[in-house]
Amino acid sequence: MAENNSTADSKDVVLRSSIDRSLRHPVMFLFASGALWLVLSIVLGLVASAKKHNPEFLTCFSWLDAGKVDAAHMSAMIYGWGLQAAFGIIIWLMARLSRKECTASGIILWAAHVWNAVVSYGIIRIMMGEGSGVTYMEFPSEVWPLLLVCYTTITIWSLVQFQVRDAGHVYVSQWYLLAGLLWFPWIAVTAWVFVFLMDGHPLMVAGVAGWFKGTLFSLFFLPVALGSAYYLAPKVTGRPVYSYNIALFGFWSLAVFGPWAGMEKLFGAPVPQFLPYAGAASMILILIPAIAVGYNIIKTVIGNSEVIAESPSLRFTAAGVVLFLAFGGLSVLLHTVPALKLTQFTYTGYGFDILGLYGVFSLCAFGAIYFIVPRITRREWLSRRFIKWHFFCSIYGISSVVICAIAGGLSQGQGIEDLSQPFGTMAERASQFSWGVTLAWAFILFANFFFCLHLFLMWARLGRRSSHPTLLDAHHPTSPHGPEGEVDNYSSASA
Amino acid sequence: MTFKAFIIGLLATFGIPWLLLVVVPYSTMRSLGPVEYGKDSEFTGAFVPKRDGRIKEGSRIFGQEGCALCHTQVIRPTYAGNDVHRGEWAGLRKSSSVDEDTRRETIAQDFQQEDVAHIGQTRVGPDLSNFGRRLEHYLKLNKSSRTPEQWALMHLYNPKAVPRYEVPETGAQIITAWKSACPPKSGLFAKVQVNGAGYGNLPVDIEAGMGIKPSDRARALVSYLLSLKKDTLGNPLPDALNFNPKAPKSEE
Amino acid sequence: MDHTRDNPLKRFSAFWIAILLATSFGIALIITQPFAPDKTDKAYEMVSEGRLEIKDGIDRAQDDALNEAALAEALQAQAKSFDKNTESKGSMPVPGAAPTPSEKPAE
Repeated sequence: MAENNSTADSKDVVLRSSIDRSLRHPVMFLFASGALWLVLSIVLGLVASAKKHNPEFLTCFSWLDAGKVDAAHMSAMIYGWGLQAAFGIIIWLMARLSRKECTASGIILWAAHVWNAVVSYGIIRIMMGEGSGVTYMEFPSEVWPLLLVCYTTITIWSLVQFQVRDAGHVYVSQWYLLAGLLWFPWIAVTAWVFVFLMDGHPLMVAGVAGWFKGTLFSLFFLPVALGSAYYLAPKVTGRPVYSYNIALFGFWSLAVFGPWAGMEKLFGAPVPQFLPYAGAASMILILIPAIAVGYNIIKTVIGNSEVIAESPSLRFTAAGVVLFLAFGGLSVLLHTVPALKLTQFTYTGYGFDILGLYGVFSLCAFGAIYFIVPRITRREWLSRRFIKWHFFCSIYGISSVVICAIAGGLSQGQGIEDLSQPFGTMAERASQFSWGVTLAWAFILFANFFFCLHLFLMWARLGRRSSHPTLLDAHHPTSPHGPEGEVDNYSSASA
Repeated sequence: MTFKAFIIGLLATFGIPWLLLVVVPYSTMRSLGPVEYGKDSEFTGAFVPKRDGRIKEGSRIFGQEGCALCHTQVIRPTYAGNDVHRGEWAGLRKSSSVDEDTRRETIAQDFQQEDVAHIGQTRVGPDLSNFGRRLEHYLKLNKSSRTPEQWALMHLYNPKAVPRYEVPETGAQIITAWKSACPPKSGLFAKVQVNGAGYGNLPVDIEAGMGIKPSDRARALVSYLLSLKKDTLGNPLPDALNFNPKAPKSEE
Repeated sequence: MDHTRDNPLKRFSAFWIAILLATSFGIALIITQPFAPDKTDKAYEMVSEGRLEIKDGIDRAQDDALNEAALAEALQAQAKSFDKNTESKGSMPVPGAAPTPSEKPAE
């Protein structure tokens, strides 16, 4: 029996490593190019934020004019970083969970290159002032079908892998990823048809673009982040998920409430009133999946504080899940009618969007990347310090962005609603808070510059060969990579 | 949960909001009827904002340049915000130079003939629903030597160089001391050699023999901005809340 | 590996099922949208009524002012000299034309 077990185990190990080998090129390319886009998008975000308190900043570069640089910043962050990181996670996770090797690595790698080219083209067109002019969908109209074709080429194989998986239990992460994979083309095709292809009422065009932006987060980025969190939490701690029923409940509550999101951006506009109210209601109800997921994952990892402290992937994932709970709570506060009235046209919306995109999705994605990359490169992360800088500067930065943007937005809204104050009062308050946002982006840039550097070093196979994973444990007086001289003794270790 | 049950569940939970939020409202709003001027107005027929040619191009440029990021174009009903009372965003107030209060909320037909309604994301700068009306009125009141086109072009080139006007709740029109936070749009202007009088260049002094020329995009954008006069000069539109005493009272 | 669940045929059908699912709402749009009500622009039609009235008035006035007899006479005068291949003297000088010997060149 023990013999059979160990044979089965070693077969499993061989299968897992062959899966990792089969998709190492596309996944590493996606992560590395995503990280580069992340750094670029943060630089653009810094410029955009700086122009809010120093309007003459970099006026000499017309392609960095305010408005265009904001659109370029968000587009780069979403389509350059967010989607590519999501692709890498989806491909690896679905292959591992379905226990199938990737047979289309070459095609995926090509499609990823084309994706990068198309996104670059879109960002350049935006900065030249030739975007679409539609807020929330600023890429020119021809970019969207290209992105959809690349998307399908990259992700269809994961859908096939799921369907040909071995018989047996389907894990909750697979449901999340499968749903995200289907939701994205559904919302993207609908939005592209109604915004660019058909000729509709201008208000509804704006509404559909807002719906696309809202559901892009709730129906794509969130499922990928949660699917990754549900995989890593039990995997790293070695304990099963606390409750499978709560996991399914969390998934279906997201499926029910998520698709209604987005139209709250049209609050007060002359559209049928139920549209923005439905959007606001959906954003309030997103607290329910947030509580379900948060409770489940926290109960899974609780009591294991050393593991959370030591493992980079678990630390980032846990932070992402906690921020998802904060996101849910804030969402309730910010989407009631009095709050919407106050904060609708202020920086609050931006801070909230960044909390979702960076605080929830990106932190969970970093956790997944810190887990996946050593497995596909067969090297360990080089520097504990880089990882710590990445973590702490990210946490500090995202908290500052969120606090400054949301508090600043409330103050702005108060200034605008108070009719005894001239407009200048509100504007001055806004520019003070934008200093905080700029500083916070500077910290996040620092964090991700080192993340990008670290990732590129791993991509160049300069990671260290070791049987010790790189842990963040600060207690060992010795090197984190194991006892000194271990590498020298490696060659003499028996097989 | 089987794959089939999952797919059916996903299609249902997505399909219903897809239909109710996106497809049906979009299709019905396409045939939104026009709103007609009220009985007592000087205009007859349908309310159609003048928005052809360069003005429509200007609307597209407004979106491309990201102006919608910092400027809104919606006067919200009072349950959603105080916009209709803030200054003269919603129209001109009754004063010694203005016969009637022309302020009103935004209606759906205000965005006719634009590709997308530039509702706006934030209010870093003021709301622009009635920018054209306000600008002409203030320049006339202050006997400014600038034309509205010149003011608008100067604002795009160097926002701090033009005076800003505001009408607070008290109604007295003032020139505000607070300087604009609008970042200059250098991409819309070119530095050119001045030949002759330099007609069409901006009234700024740079080096000798050089002038600042607005590009065609700048001119189209300014045409659009000056066409933003959504208060319909006080002529009552029955569907919109307004302060005009001649407006027909709503029956509800 | 369980060969009954993973074979090339299963992969082929899985691929097309996946494509179908991903494009399902796009297909729904293609099927339903042609039957959706057309975009109407009644405002444009209402405003064009006034515009067309003005145009009718102009057309009528121009028709009344058209003097067919005088027009035919003027055309006859032109037609007579067409085959002679020389310029017939018009009443207005052609801008930029070379001066004839009887005219002095401009200073």
